[in-house]
Amino acid sequence: MTVLDVRGVSKRFGGLQALSDVTFSVGEGQIVGLIGPNGAGKTTFFSTLVGLIRPDRGSIALDGRSIVGAKPHRVAAYGMTKTFQNVALFGDCTVLDNVLTAGLLRHDVQAARDEACRSLDRVGLLAIADKQADTLSFPERARVELARALCTGPKVLLLDEVMAALNPVEMREIMTLIRSLRDDGITLLVVEHHMRAIMAICDRILVLNFGKLLADGTPKEIAGHPEVIEAYLGQSMEKHR
Amino acid sequence: MKRWMLPLTALAIALLLPLLLDPRGYWIRVLAFTFLFAAMAQAWNIVGGLANQTSLGHAAFFGIGAYTSTVLLLKFGISPWIGMIAAAGLGGVAAFAIAIPTMRLQGHYFALATLAFGEVLRVVANVWTSVTGGASGISVPFSSPSLLTYSFKLLRPHAYVALAALVIVTVIFEIVRRSAMGYRLRAIKENPAAAEVIGIDTAKVKLQAAIVSGMLMAMLGTLYAQVAVFFDPDTVFSAASISIRVALIAILGGIGTPVGPILGAFFIIPLEELMNDWFSASAAGLSQLTFGLILIAVILWRPRGFVTLFKSLSSRFGGASA
Repeated sequence: MTVLDVRGVSKRFGGLQALSDVTFSVGEGQIVGLIGPNGAGKTTFFSTLVGLIRPDRGSIALDGRSIVGAKPHRVAAYGMTKTFQNVALFGDCTVLDNVLTAGLLRHDVQAARDEACRSLDRVGLLAIADKQADTLSFPERARVELARALCTGPKVLLLDEVMAALNPVEMREIMTLIRSLRDDGITLLVVEHHMRAIMAICDRILVLNFGKLLADGTPKEIAGHPEVIEAYLGQSMEKHR
Repeated sequence: MKRWMLPLTALAIALLLPLLLDPRGYWIRVLAFTFLFAAMAQAWNIVGGLANQTSLGHAAFFGIGAYTSTVLLLKFGISPWIGMIAAAGLGGVAAFAIAIPTMRLQGHYFALATLAFGEVLRVVANVWTSVTGGASGISVPFSSPSLLTYSFKLLRPHAYVALAALVIVTVIFEIVRRSAMGYRLRAIKENPAAAEVIGIDTAKVKLQAAIVSGMLMAMLGTLYAQVAVFFDPDTVFSAASISIRVALIAILGGIGTPVGPILGAFFIIPLEELMNDWFSASAAGLSQLTFGLILIAVILWRPRGFVTLFKSLSSRFGGASA
């Protein structure tokens, strides 16, 4: 069943065509990777999906309901949220309060606290729940982002580079977590630069280049796609080794 | 030490203070105004502290409150207590009216827009003589003294009413702070985009906070009118001596905490009076100058407010118990 349906989405910023005619749909319970060189429009695309940026053209439907023009909090209530690439925690608040605030979307304060503890437990940060968010390391903060997004109870979760700066052990933990979220019925869109990780967890990969969808296929197909190799993999594998 | 020990001790001292001061004297008046300004700063704290939206226009709600109850009393003989409820209603409406256009503004722009709003109301009150009496001011008619008419011969009962107001506003602030709304306001303060993305209707929450804050501020305007007995537009709608002073009290004490505005008020209001007392005879400008210098020194010393003093003290002495 299709949970997210994107048709002809375009967005221009001045002279820059950030997104042009992006079309694809995602079935429930898939893990979809979104890759592309820096500046390809991945983060802009995520921001457009959750309503932070309004597309110039095109339609976006979540669970059959059109969400173009809906404010981000409505989109979150309908069941789609994202993490922020450069981490946008509530720095002055504790880790628990960061996650709890997201839980208030569907629960009262007491239930949101329980829900937040469960989310923190899943990302393995329950032990530092009382720490102030801006005292954490970058990888820890990225995981709090994940827990916070999770605590909104999403159907579709957009993860923008949650594995950046993780060591191999931490990365394996996050990959296991992403798979377990999928097993819970959550559909995931994952932006990640680490190719081996993305190849390993994704059912399907979308390649974005200069705001255009360049390729759409299984990890195997993408790895052998000549245009993708030319536009992205050859150059980027060097850079991100 | 139990958590309620400190507030309870502070309340006991506050209850004793009016009894210790000369009921006909000058300092009981200062005390009443200190309680009142602490309550005002606490009302401001809901918007200015929790959401970090620095309003410099709270005199608007204050003045509306002072005029609403006084005009109702003067023209229709309506008790100030009922006038206070009407004041809350009008204060809420005014807060709604100013919040709609300023909601998307942040930082300096929000501060300037609210400042302008307060000034506009000051000008309107000066011109609208048929209702406000204009620049010549308005006198609160004298009623036989009792709690029911909210009219007292001495200042001691006024001090207790102001203290009660401070306690009530502080309790409301604390309820808001611990509620879902408090969490949402802090999220908006820290990162509005992230707050939206995790499902917070930032516009609605800001509007709710502005209305609660404006209603409380207007009710405190009624209290002021009953204590002051006479006032004019330039006093109750004053940018400097109401709007900015209230923000200053909260900022100096420590925004976003229930203790901050109380500490700030107990520092600023008596200090101002002392400065006036000491210097006004010799050189009028000297009191403001000294007051300003002390403020600068204090802000440099405690940029995040007096509350941080408590935290550093408790970590030094009470590390084991905390």
